[in-house]
Amino acid sequence: MSSVLGTVRAADSGADAGDDPEARWSWAAGARRRPVIHAAARRTLGRRRRAGRLVQALCVLCAAIGLAPLVALVYYTAERGLGGLSIGFLTHAPVPVGIPGGGISTAIVGSAEIVGLALVMAIPVGLMAALFLHERRGHLAGAIRFGADLLTGVPSIVIGIFAYALVVRPLHHFSDLAAAFALAVLMLPIMIRADEEAMRTVATDLWEAGVALGARRSRVARSVVLRGALPGLVTGNLLAVSRGVGETAPLLFTVAAPSFAMTLLIYTEGTEPFPAAQQTAWSTALLLLLFVLVLSGVARLVAWHLTRRAR
Amino acid sequence: MVGPEVERPLVTGDGRTLGPAGAGGAGAAPAARSASAPTPASVALEAAARAPAHLDPEAGPAVTLENVRVSFGDHVAVRNVTLALPARQVTALVGPSGCGKTTVLRAINRLHDHTGGRVEGSIRLGDIDVCAPDTDPELLRARIGMVFQRPNPFPTMSILDNVTSGLRFNGIRNRALLREAAESALRHAALWDIVKDRLHQTALRLSGGQQQRLCIARALAIEPDVLLMDEPCSALDPVATAKIEDLITHLAAEVTIVLVTHNMFQAARVSDNAAVFLLDEDRVGELVEVGPTVEIFHSPRNERTKQYVTGHVG
Amino acid sequence: MTARTSAASAVSVKEALRRRHARRGGRGYAAARWAAAGLFLAVLLGLVVSIAIDSSQALAHSGIGFLWSGTWNPTANDYGAGILVVGTIVTTFVAMVIVVPVGLGMAAFLSELAPRWLAGSLSTAIELLAAVPSIVVGLWALLVLSPLFANYLEPFLKAVPGLEWFFHGPAYGPSILLASVVLAVMTLPTVVALSRTALSGVALADREAAMALGATHWQVVREVVFPGARSGIAAALTLAVGRALGESIAVAMVVGNSPAIPHSLLSTGATLGSAIVNQFAEAAPGIGTSSIIALAAVLLVLTLAVNAGGQALLRAMRPGRPGRAAGAG
Repeated sequence: MSSVLGTVRAADSGADAGDDPEARWSWAAGARRRPVIHAAARRTLGRRRRAGRLVQALCVLCAAIGLAPLVALVYYTAERGLGGLSIGFLTHAPVPVGIPGGGISTAIVGSAEIVGLALVMAIPVGLMAALFLHERRGHLAGAIRFGADLLTGVPSIVIGIFAYALVVRPLHHFSDLAAAFALAVLMLPIMIRADEEAMRTVATDLWEAGVALGARRSRVARSVVLRGALPGLVTGNLLAVSRGVGETAPLLFTVAAPSFAMTLLIYTEGTEPFPAAQQTAWSTALLLLLFVLVLSGVARLVAWHLTRRAR
Repeated sequence: MVGPEVERPLVTGDGRTLGPAGAGGAGAAPAARSASAPTPASVALEAAARAPAHLDPEAGPAVTLENVRVSFGDHVAVRNVTLALPARQVTALVGPSGCGKTTVLRAINRLHDHTGGRVEGSIRLGDIDVCAPDTDPELLRARIGMVFQRPNPFPTMSILDNVTSGLRFNGIRNRALLREAAESALRHAALWDIVKDRLHQTALRLSGGQQQRLCIARALAIEPDVLLMDEPCSALDPVATAKIEDLITHLAAEVTIVLVTHNMFQAARVSDNAAVFLLDEDRVGELVEVGPTVEIFHSPRNERTKQYVTGHVG
Repeated sequence: MTARTSAASAVSVKEALRRRHARRGGRGYAAARWAAAGLFLAVLLGLVVSIAIDSSQALAHSGIGFLWSGTWNPTANDYGAGILVVGTIVTTFVAMVIVVPVGLGMAAFLSELAPRWLAGSLSTAIELLAAVPSIVVGLWALLVLSPLFANYLEPFLKAVPGLEWFFHGPAYGPSILLASVVLAVMTLPTVVALSRTALSGVALADREAAMALGATHWQVVREVVFPGARSGIAAALTLAVGRALGESIAVAMVVGNSPAIPHSLLSTGATLGSAIVNQFAEAAPGIGTSSIIALAAVLLVLTLAVNAGGQALLRAMRPGRPGRAAGAG
């Protein structure tokens, strides 16, 4: 213990000189600094506070600017798209330019088919892969996780080209299948990561308890992990779907005709100089926007509701 | 330096004594050699015997609290606090967890402005009315240093920048002044020799005890009138704790220190005065008794204080 | 057989049965898991391999100079990605110039200034912005923003003294500037959400330490909160750049698609993504298509590199405070 206190005292060597009022680091010198510090504090307080108020105002401005695009998007899409919406719009097929009437029924149906097919491909693979990641450690799992993160960053147009090369070219024609494949590839990494995150929140001891009791690994997985992770799974998959539904670039190289997909239709009609075409584009965009926003809202509600019930 | 250089035996948190018993000093207290386990009372007696009290009759109390009550929304956290903190002494706020000691401490430098706590009553720092709406909290806090429960050096700043941060926040730019103040603060915190060659390194490489001493230096650098310490040793091991307690007794000669601790032995070792906080029947914290440490532990006037002080040992 | 050995053998029989059940019941399910994992990896590899193969023809034809060659002349079979890379970088850069202050300012507002109810609803609003399909943003930019830019903003910018180097030349709407604004709108949610998380994650203890020294609120934010959120903000910005680089359809609608080095922010230009969108359908089969796919390859490499960096930064975000090390001393 003499070593303990001795160390303190040695490090303290200045403290002895602390009593010498002439020493630079004496208490007396500190006492002389005190009024200097208080004066500086008082003198600068006004400036410091004003700077804070200015930054505060700037931040409020930034928040308003940040909110503006969403407001403008929703407003203009609604304002310009609403006029073209009607039952006929939803139920009639497109008609050639110049002829009144017509709608986008083929596009709605086509989009639904493509997305549906993509989900059939992506959801099971995503779930199984996520279970794989959840249960195994090791290099392979790490590689898959890393790969999924990378794949989420791949531009959708590159995925479209991949689908073109893999499906369209060998079959020599565009198809819903190719488009669905592209969307599935797009959604898959998002689903894998979201599913794995959802499973991670399920208590691991719940799972281990199930296995220890002798239950089959598959049954344990299905009943315990999946049920517990259900809110997260639903939310994650809904959000992935919302992303897939809104994509256009992958469809450019895979879909047979623009009239078979809503997003592509918006692109072709919107870039036409004719007001009628642009009107179609706006109305389709409004439908799409509503659908996507509702989907996001539902996903959020589902998550909130199910986590509440789980408690 | 006030008081003789005493080789005090190390008393650990549970009252055991390590090292040479009764070495040096005038009249080692018999309690150190007694067969029974040390009590806070005996420790307090012993500590008081070793270090003569630094009474300064002319100096008024550094901080006075009168009828202070702190509430959060409808819930009252602590009330009935009337207390004078004498200048250049260590006053310990003791009591079990949850009795409002930390709440009172934070009221002194108006940290409750940010926690949503409402402070009623009167708190004065010298002749500054702390709670008055026209008192600038920033200027007030520049006169008060605070050390927190877990060491919290700024993680993105070097050691030197950490120590000088308070000065720089308050508008001091003079490099010479900053350097001088930093060296002074680090020496007073018994850290200078350890860090003087790595002032520009990150503070996170230091051990826990060293980081806490860095935080003490950071607080000292602004030359505060009062140093508030909120259980500064609770995250540290016994060796680091001993160093900081030693530091506190050194610093008390020049700085008024208010120490919140739930460890009665620490209070007995280190403080000159003690204020006991307990929960009343409504589970609201209140100040029960205050006085010189030796009296509080040895001969408390209040029955509840006596129960708390003795009950801790039994 | 004694009671002990019979009990032991009973246990061992049960053990054997359990193991057999585990193997059998698990086998089909395990196969599914492995199949899915393998399928995913196959898709990932297939993507890279297919793009590489398809672009090899163009690279063989034009050589490595393809990457920076400035000409894009389909009729002369002369392809070079250089201009497009420049266009991509310029639009992304200008988008960042817009998004960084606005995004960080908004993140600071949400994290430090706004009352909880407001912060919550604004955050939700920003997340909804992220959900808006890029084609809708593109349509809005083309039909609403572009005329506004042409009639009001661009003449205004041209008239501001001192900025002529940035803003001059004919301006009819579609421009690098408009494309950059579109990219800014699309990357804003990423920046705001991640930065806000980073800012809120700075420990209360650090903030209080600064406050206790006499710092004003803004000083706390500037000296403690923002530095503490450095890595998270870096991750946010990197991921935003990655997103901006890859955005194609919305940019294609408003950038004007003239593969030439832009001499002003108001001139039209082209990016890698927009060129792919616009040229793929009419590309001459063989070298032409391969060149377009080579553009996709360049884009892929670029975005993969940036995103890998962003993900690494995201993982490096410090989870807890190392200050807890209560070692000896």
